[in-house]
Amino acid sequence: MAVTQYIHPLDKHLRLERIPTLYCPGCGLGIGLASMLRALDSRIKEGSIDPDKVFWVGGIGCSARMVFYVNYDSAHVIHGRAIPFAIGAVLANPELKAIVVGGDGDIAGIGGNHLLHAARRNVDLIVVMFTNFVYAMTGGQVAPTTPRGVKTTTTPRGNPEYPMNAVKLVTSLNANYVARASITTPHYIEQYFYKALGKKGFRFIEVVSACPEVYGRHIGLRNPVEMYNELKKRVKHKPKASIEEAEIDWDKGIVTGEFVDRDNPSYIEILRGEQSEI
Amino acid sequence: MHYPESTQLNLLRRTSSKFTVTVIVDRCKECGICIAVCPTKVLSISNMINKHGYRPPEPLNIDKCIGCKLCEYNCPDFAIFVEKVEQP
Amino acid sequence: MRKTFTSGNMAVAEGALTAGLKFYAGYPITPSSEIMEYLAEKLPQHGGVVIQMEDEIGSINAIIGASWAGFKAMTATSGPGFSLMAEAMGLAVITETPIVVVNVMRAGPSTGVPTKTSQSDVLQARWFAHGDYLIPCYAPWSVQEAYDLTIKAFNTAELLRTPVILLSDAVIAHLWEPLMIYEPGEVEVIGRKIPIDKQRAKFPYKPDSDLVPPMPILGHGYKTIIESLTHNERGFYAPMNTEYKALVKRLILKILKRINYIYEQETRYCDDAEVLLVSYGSTARSVYLATVDYRRKGLKIGFLRLKTLWPLNEEKILNCSRARKIIVIENNTGKIYFDMDRIFKDRDVYSSPVLSLELPTPREVSEAIEPWL
Repeated sequence: MAVTQYIHPLDKHLRLERIPTLYCPGCGLGIGLASMLRALDSRIKEGSIDPDKVFWVGGIGCSARMVFYVNYDSAHVIHGRAIPFAIGAVLANPELKAIVVGGDGDIAGIGGNHLLHAARRNVDLIVVMFTNFVYAMTGGQVAPTTPRGVKTTTTPRGNPEYPMNAVKLVTSLNANYVARASITTPHYIEQYFYKALGKKGFRFIEVVSACPEVYGRHIGLRNPVEMYNELKKRVKHKPKASIEEAEIDWDKGIVTGEFVDRDNPSYIEILRGEQSEI
Repeated sequence: MHYPESTQLNLLRRTSSKFTVTVIVDRCKECGICIAVCPTKVLSISNMINKHGYRPPEPLNIDKCIGCKLCEYNCPDFAIFVEKVEQP
Repeated sequence: MRKTFTSGNMAVAEGALTAGLKFYAGYPITPSSEIMEYLAEKLPQHGGVVIQMEDEIGSINAIIGASWAGFKAMTATSGPGFSLMAEAMGLAVITETPIVVVNVMRAGPSTGVPTKTSQSDVLQARWFAHGDYLIPCYAPWSVQEAYDLTIKAFNTAELLRTPVILLSDAVIAHLWEPLMIYEPGEVEVIGRKIPIDKQRAKFPYKPDSDLVPPMPILGHGYKTIIESLTHNERGFYAPMNTEYKALVKRLILKILKRINYIYEQETRYCDDAEVLLVSYGSTARSVYLATVDYRRKGLKIGFLRLKTLWPLNEEKILNCSRARKIIVIENNTGKIYFDMDRIFKDRDVYSSPVLSLELPTPREVSEAIEPWL
């Protein structure tokens, strides 16, 4: 029997009948989700967000499955299409607070085109992309963020491709908020997500996660604690980093911090004529 | 599989004069992150086996707890949390 | 009611407005683009939203999202874009989302001839996504019918909580004809069945006796799960045989149960017909003229036009005429023929496809069917 009464401080945000999650031991996704829920909890407690209007959307993948663990309106849709699905919902009902969660494969791989155009439109969404450097749910294939040289199940001689820096990509467009945090610093995930919840327009947070079970197998860090510590060593927090410094490189370091924070008119504000740019 | 004898709500709870640490036994997946991140080594692995076959941590050295919540914040499975003991 | 003179594409847009369209997402593609252009002008005046997405995949996913937020939603496209929409069509099926997808058929495969007509996508409309499903599909033959069947498509979508396809083609799209537009109250517009209370809303996939579950609207505190995985009545992943069977069967049965509502056909000269000509969409215009011509010459030719392509009401089709000889005329290499051959089991069924970039002329139709007469 699952535990069915609220014990943990975040239990009221979870569909307890589906906990524990299917995530592997030591998976960073749960740390990220918990951090996001703490931020949401603060926003709800202070009265700035109505929980009934919160809407989670995820595509396909381990990260996207978060949507059916949270006790909110939620959609678990098709691979890569969480962003357009959320756009339709928020344009139909601008009161909805849409939170898109997904892995780097879902958001920046198959769904990359939607990510670009959502950022360009500055449409009112929060996208939280969990980067774990691998396609985990399907068993360890190369991902858009896999570092060069890593042997995956589909790059048995080492990844020949250059990885994607999604933070730099989204920053080049018209997003109102771009930040990166790591699951080894959960309080920053919480802080950035809290901030994003209070803003309008397109908000993008990349959460660097640890996948000891699948990615760890590829790089010899199968132990969750070792994986966690190795990731932690590589994370360099720079509160006021420039976008040029926003590296994400397993060898040279992973820079976390806030890279864009502005209040350009959002898509819905422009549509409503509240802010005229035209 | 070995199931613990107790009821569905299986908690490991230790309290010091300042803090209570609670482990929700059947949510733990034994990743060990909480034990590793605790700066004062409050937690250690228990002898208990939960219903999924994992050994949850036990706040044995609860008196050393400083209430930093690093275990709670770094737990991927909503399985551990820290509360401040209300002073009378 | 007011009379206008307009094109098939604009009639589709007007029909959608009459039916209560509030959200349109699309991507430009010939020969459907005028639908979005017309709505971009008009829909905001009706309190709705039009967005041009980055591709057709984005368009269909956006309208599914908008539909869950409570809006009647539509997209329109043509062959290449329709192909891109296949996967999300399955999402609309399994999440039981009312949407209307217009495919203005053009010549293919691939880019084909973008500006020219075809009826090659009729089986694609029936079978194009993976998995088992049945999506209602209408095919208009005139500007007025493009308007009427668009309204019907919305009504079907809302009544049965299902995606619906409207198969227009390049001829109908750019054909200008008189159109009667209904004022509110002059035509039936079906609204969405929503849950009566929070308890009922907890089960967004639990059907009523009509096999259709009430649809919760996002933002009402129902904590609804929209689930693309095979799910139980609650919306939880259910990879078990019993639940899988129950869901897939119900998704098809809820459509078939209302076949008398969905299915429409038109028959002329069928009572004494010895030969029955079967057609649909723009090609039926020429087939009808050819039929009238044969009748003038004294031949006992009957005319059956399918307004609904899927699902076919086999009983109604079988009983519309006692003709021993059935000839199917369509602007492709012969597709609906296979179903007619199956339905008219013991009669002689012939395929007379007229593969043409232009609307087949009555003369071409006659030449195609004459070998079988």
